[in-house]
Amino acid sequence: MTKLAWVICGALGLGCGGRPSSWDTPYTPPTAQKGVAAAYGLSGSVAVLDLPLKRVTMLSSPSTLELASRSIGLGTDLVAAQVSADRKTLFALSRGVQPQRTPNDERPQLLLIDGGSSPKVSQTYSLTEPMEQLVLDPKNEWAVVYGGAGVVVNLNELVLVNLAQTGAAALSFKTLLSFGGNPKRFTFTAPLAVPGGEPRRFLLVERDSDLVLIDLAAPEREAVTVPLPSTDAGGTASSAQLAYDADSASIAVRVTGTTSVFMLQLAAPATAGQDFSVVTNLVDVGGMPSAIDFVHNSQGLRLVALVGSSAVLVDPDTATTQSVQMPAAFTGIRRITDELNPSATSAADGDVALLYGPNISKIAYFNLSGAPGALFRSIEPYDIGVSVSNVIDVPGETYFDHKILQTPNQQFYVLDLHTRESAPMKTNGGLTLEVAPNGERVWAYNPGQLGFASVDFATLHPVSLMAERQVSNVFEIESADGQRAAVALHLGSSAGIGATVLDAVSPSTAYARFYSGLELGGVK
Amino acid sequence: MSPRFGLSARLLPAFLLAAAGARAEPLAPHQPYAQASLGVRVSKVSDAGYDAFSDSDDLTQVSVGLGGTLLRHQRLSLAAVGFWDYGQKSSNARSSFTELNVHRLTVGPELRYHLLPPLYFFAHALPAFAHSGASLEDGVAEVTRYARHWSYGVDLAAGAAFEVYGARTGSPRPRIWAIAEGGYGYLGSTSLQMVPDSGEGPQRPAPVDLGTLSLSGPYLRLSAAVGF
Repeated sequence: MTKLAWVICGALGLGCGGRPSSWDTPYTPPTAQKGVAAAYGLSGSVAVLDLPLKRVTMLSSPSTLELASRSIGLGTDLVAAQVSADRKTLFALSRGVQPQRTPNDERPQLLLIDGGSSPKVSQTYSLTEPMEQLVLDPKNEWAVVYGGAGVVVNLNELVLVNLAQTGAAALSFKTLLSFGGNPKRFTFTAPLAVPGGEPRRFLLVERDSDLVLIDLAAPEREAVTVPLPSTDAGGTASSAQLAYDADSASIAVRVTGTTSVFMLQLAAPATAGQDFSVVTNLVDVGGMPSAIDFVHNSQGLRLVALVGSSAVLVDPDTATTQSVQMPAAFTGIRRITDELNPSATSAADGDVALLYGPNISKIAYFNLSGAPGALFRSIEPYDIGVSVSNVIDVPGETYFDHKILQTPNQQFYVLDLHTRESAPMKTNGGLTLEVAPNGERVWAYNPGQLGFASVDFATLHPVSLMAERQVSNVFEIESADGQRAAVALHLGSSAGIGATVLDAVSPSTAYARFYSGLELGGVK
Repeated sequence: MSPRFGLSARLLPAFLLAAAGARAEPLAPHQPYAQASLGVRVSKVSDAGYDAFSDSDDLTQVSVGLGGTLLRHQRLSLAAVGFWDYGQKSSNARSSFTELNVHRLTVGPELRYHLLPPLYFFAHALPAFAHSGASLEDGVAEVTRYARHWSYGVDLAAGAAFEVYGARTGSPRPRIWAIAEGGYGYLGSTSLQMVPDSGEGPQRPAPVDLGTLSLSGPYLRLSAAVGF
């Protein structure tokens, strides 16, 4: 019968055509090894990568319990995707068609997608060479792409993208002079008050054996490379952590294999043609520090280094140290002064820091506002019964004084910094936390399971929910009508893209709506 | 020799023989009072909504027809004809199994002109009623979704019928006709909002929107008919 049909078609020239190959391309969620996640939560939409069709399916909520999908084409060979710190933009870096055979072949590009309730492409930056690594500025002013897979790759070649500009003018190409290392970590600083000039932002690049300072106010100027000190045994050291203080333009580097902290001070130009100079110092803190940070006490700026059971305060000007005994060997420190007093422009009397560690069932508040002689009373421990592996900030304007304490055993605590009360939350399985972009609540789920939950920071009341299909991710977004929607994704290799949509403020599966077949939208 | 040329070679002598005898045969016995046909209809459906259910644009249907002559005037005759066409297509939409079942019923007048007693040409405009049943195996919801709709339209076609076998005048034995027609079948679009049957799948499932489906397109029908 089919042969006869083809004979008839052919004989009379009807030309029985085919369909787009997209219909024959199954949806497959990207694996973690690819360097991109299966889905990203943005402020007003959820982005689900559909790499087989070189597109992203943007899910947004027009109104309560409603879900709309729109597909946006990504570049060929996506290698990196990240969400901006404010969750408003999805950055997608693609290699384009490689090797290029015709002038019309798609070029490498950095695509910016507005992640609001009406998702759309907001900007495209065409690159000259395929790059594979993407770093975003928390303040959304810059992006850095680097690293490639060509015949010859210069790992120290960076492309700085000024996100305030468009087109080729936005791109700055920097090749870092190297003492033999490759970029490991990038830090975009706040404006540093460099003497003799306007405050300016820097990009600090930690490499195997040196630190590079790029002045973002003049990225075309030559970068400053500062070699790291050797280990105490004379070997090659590497950077383990970096901290900076904007007001004093001070930078500290915790270096592996040494009891000393490497201090850098940005100073006024020492010679003609310089924008600034760098003064370095090495301060022995008496042991291998596990964490460092800058704080202010009543006497001024100090560097805190956590060394065993001691907190060592270093005066950056004189390199003198003062040690404070801690109630436990904390290995993590987080300044919480702004969360406790957000209206203050600077720490009036001194900073407050939260001390924690993954092997200690305590946290402590380190109050640096007291007199220097009263430092022994400045650390106030709280026994919470579990150790803390990570401290998660809460965004927004309501519960910024809350922290989520993630534990190695997949439980979590909600900590109110003002009342110093902590609410332990136990889970019956693994745990992934997703803080709502408006900071009103946190969503907890275990990928591959049916159960998920929300904890509202106002009441600390957990609401446990049971989806009808296995949950891959949970994100909270703002609807077009200003309501809040929770989107629990159901992603499957041979199944497709589905989602359960709930009212995030009053989540209940009794009213939830189930969506599926989202991978079929816009196929052409 | 290919089957197609073989068929032509057999039909041509029959046509010549019939034409030679036409002068001796009266026309009326060759204008069938009633006719029943069985054949195949092939349509070209280029609508994008069809892509989810087929990897090609063709829709092949088995075709059953009935007709009866109402009026005769010399070489012209007017018949009432009706066809039921049924076809089914299945495919995968991004690995989800899909299927489309189409029933098409057309009834209306057909105008015939006998060039020769064993050969007539015809044209018809037939109102069409179609029922399409589309299904999608939803792997996430673990349920089969459906979109079932009636649609309406018209078939405009012309063709020719050739009497390949016929008894001499006065014989009660039936005559066999080979019929070919081509035309355009119009059908209105239907929604492809795929929903599971009531009570199936997750609670409050939103439809999967595959757009709309229009089965309009040019078509050919080849059939064999028995006439009295």
